[in-house]
Amino acid sequence: MTAPALTQRGVADRGTAQVATRQGWRRDLTGWAFAAPFVILFGVFLALPILVSFVLSFTSFGLRDLANPIGASFVGVDNYARLLSDDKFWKSLFNTIYFVVVGVPLTLGIGLLIASALSRGITRFRTAYRVGYYLPVITSIVAIAVIWRFLLNPDIGLINVVLKQVGINGPDWLASKTLAMPSIIAMAVWRNLGFAMVVFIAGLQAIPAMLYEAASIDGAGRWAAFRYVTLPMLRPTILFMLVITTIGYLQLFEEPFVMTGGGPLDATLSVTMYMYQQGFTFFHQGYASAIAYVLFVIVAVIAFLQFRFLREDA
Amino acid sequence: MHAPTRAARLLAAFVLTIAVAGCGTNSGSNAPAGASGAAPGGSTAPGTSTGGGTASTAPLSGTLTVWAMGNEGTKLNVLADAFMKDNPDVKVNVTPVDWGQAVTKLQTAIAGGTTPDVSQMGTDMMGQFGAGGAFQTVPADIDASGFFQSAWDTNKVDGAVVGVPWYVETRLLYYRKDIAEKAGITSPPATWDDLKAMAKAMQEKGGAKWGISLGTKNWQEYFPFLWSNGGDVVDASGQPALNSPQAVEALTYYDSFFKDGLTPKSVPEGFDITPAFVKGDNPMFFSGPWHLGLIKDAGGADFSSKWAIAPMPKKVSGTSFVGGSNLVVFKGSKNPDAAWAFVKFASDPKTQALWYKTVTDLPAVQSAWTDPDVASDPNVKMFGDQLKDTKAQPVSGTWSELSSAINDVLEKMTTGGTDPKAAADQMQQQAQSIGVK
Repeated sequence: MTAPALTQRGVADRGTAQVATRQGWRRDLTGWAFAAPFVILFGVFLALPILVSFVLSFTSFGLRDLANPIGASFVGVDNYARLLSDDKFWKSLFNTIYFVVVGVPLTLGIGLLIASALSRGITRFRTAYRVGYYLPVITSIVAIAVIWRFLLNPDIGLINVVLKQVGINGPDWLASKTLAMPSIIAMAVWRNLGFAMVVFIAGLQAIPAMLYEAASIDGAGRWAAFRYVTLPMLRPTILFMLVITTIGYLQLFEEPFVMTGGGPLDATLSVTMYMYQQGFTFFHQGYASAIAYVLFVIVAVIAFLQFRFLREDA
Repeated sequence: MHAPTRAARLLAAFVLTIAVAGCGTNSGSNAPAGASGAAPGGSTAPGTSTGGGTASTAPLSGTLTVWAMGNEGTKLNVLADAFMKDNPDVKVNVTPVDWGQAVTKLQTAIAGGTTPDVSQMGTDMMGQFGAGGAFQTVPADIDASGFFQSAWDTNKVDGAVVGVPWYVETRLLYYRKDIAEKAGITSPPATWDDLKAMAKAMQEKGGAKWGISLGTKNWQEYFPFLWSNGGDVVDASGQPALNSPQAVEALTYYDSFFKDGLTPKSVPEGFDITPAFVKGDNPMFFSGPWHLGLIKDAGGADFSSKWAIAPMPKKVSGTSFVGGSNLVVFKGSKNPDAAWAFVKFASDPKTQALWYKTVTDLPAVQSAWTDPDVASDPNVKMFGDQLKDTKAQPVSGTWSELSSAINDVLEKMTTGGTDPKAAADQMQQQAQSIGVK
């Protein structure tokens, strides 16, 4: 394999070169052997399905093809063309973007606020607060969604019962076309801000105290210090959280799946839920794969744009 | 130098095994399940694998894997034991399947060629799997006339009969007698007008929060009204007829309960009607035989005099919905003789009565209803009478998709204010684009 290189070397070198090559090959193999468990698992359970679903998105693979998957017929870009005129898909895309556009800034904003408060202002019970905000993150999302469904119950839910105490007749949160999505956003923000808080606390602690000292000498108040020291220094952390949270929120699934079933009247139907419905309820796997790839492209583009606009030099 | 070579060989062998296994799941399904080694569903009887094509006169032998869902799955051992007593050489392995996992598990089994010999199949799943050609055609010696006609019809896929009714259920009206009496009504509603008047009276004079509880997005509750009005999902030529004048009239009637505030427009996810019925908030609803037990449990002993059930109120007819489950034999079965013998055994009137005693599933065989155990309960008998006037949804591979689309339109009408005529047109348009075959 390295023959051309070898011929240019002296005869005396030849032997050592060969040994070196052999040793290199051996090293490579050892490396691959160590990596094998991951490579094989990744290949079989991740790369292969990703590839297969890409192929599937150009077929009409459905229930009838189950017994003979090779017999599914290729339909070119039909699935993608159909998506363009599928009202339900557009509705689900709108819902998902609504969730992201409102949910991500709220999660990051409140997360940053709490992180600042906990790393500077509040000193008593700091650990209790941190644990309290972080607990929802490590709790099963389905359990949380079920509990929130009870909280939001119009007749016996805690929220409406409390509202009634102060004389307000609470609405049927999850059954209202206008309130269902905000209810789900509120729950998602509460659940995810713990992670944002932990990451922001770490980011805040990495900012050298002398920067704040310098700022205060220059006459900066609290807000100015935040605006001109904290924010710029926190930029990489914010970028990281923005990308991670956006990608996570674009895949909104469990919350509406458990709490509303996508209703009322598709008001909380997300792209992934619609994909699940097409792929596993109706078994239109070809069409569902097309939806998956459209979502993939959207995620990739948004992540790219975020990196672009929030880079250090931007 | 040897060690890496060996490691490389091992690695290659490993990768190859995976590749072969991968191919196996794809192409193995073409061959009858024999090639796949272990019996499906975690059979625990190695070595008893059968010689397959036994002549029909010889005693049955070998193993038989039977899948059943939910409650049926946990109790099926009773039937399996009785069957094995009659056929001592047959070993029946029962695999209980959770209803929530049933569709996925069946899809996986069909794709992987690991189907059981016999399986329970919800009547609404027949089209989905039958259209793919997964089931064997029912042998000619199983007589259709013994079953409720509407239940038998749920087994007809593409002109062939591919399953046998096992148990049935239908929907009746549950109502609070005491609230009705308080509102001045002493007899169950016989007609559509009666039903409407009764709902109004119960709400206005009976002191109930609502008059009735109808599904906002449930085709199983809408179709009985469509059928009772002389309409149907498809017409005689097999074309969708969801916007026929009868359908529009039925939708208008159904929607009027929502417009007049007699039934709640929004029902919380996971809503349970039973406590609301016992409390008296929702004094009427349509449901199947399972609510007999649920209400008994929730209401306690002194509640039994406060409620009753009534047949579907009449318009042109009083047709209700028939559901339940069938038994099917898969094409990949290694032991078809024993499989069909088991299905025949399960549809024997005596077995059907035994099954009713075991899980209170209503018999699909009409003659089983004369069994004293079944006939003695007047409430159960009322279900038996209603079953003679029932219909089912069309058997179609696209049914799960179409029914979901119909539910969407129903929701738009009941809660979103879409006009019934427009709703009927939308249903028809969905049926035409999705198809009913």
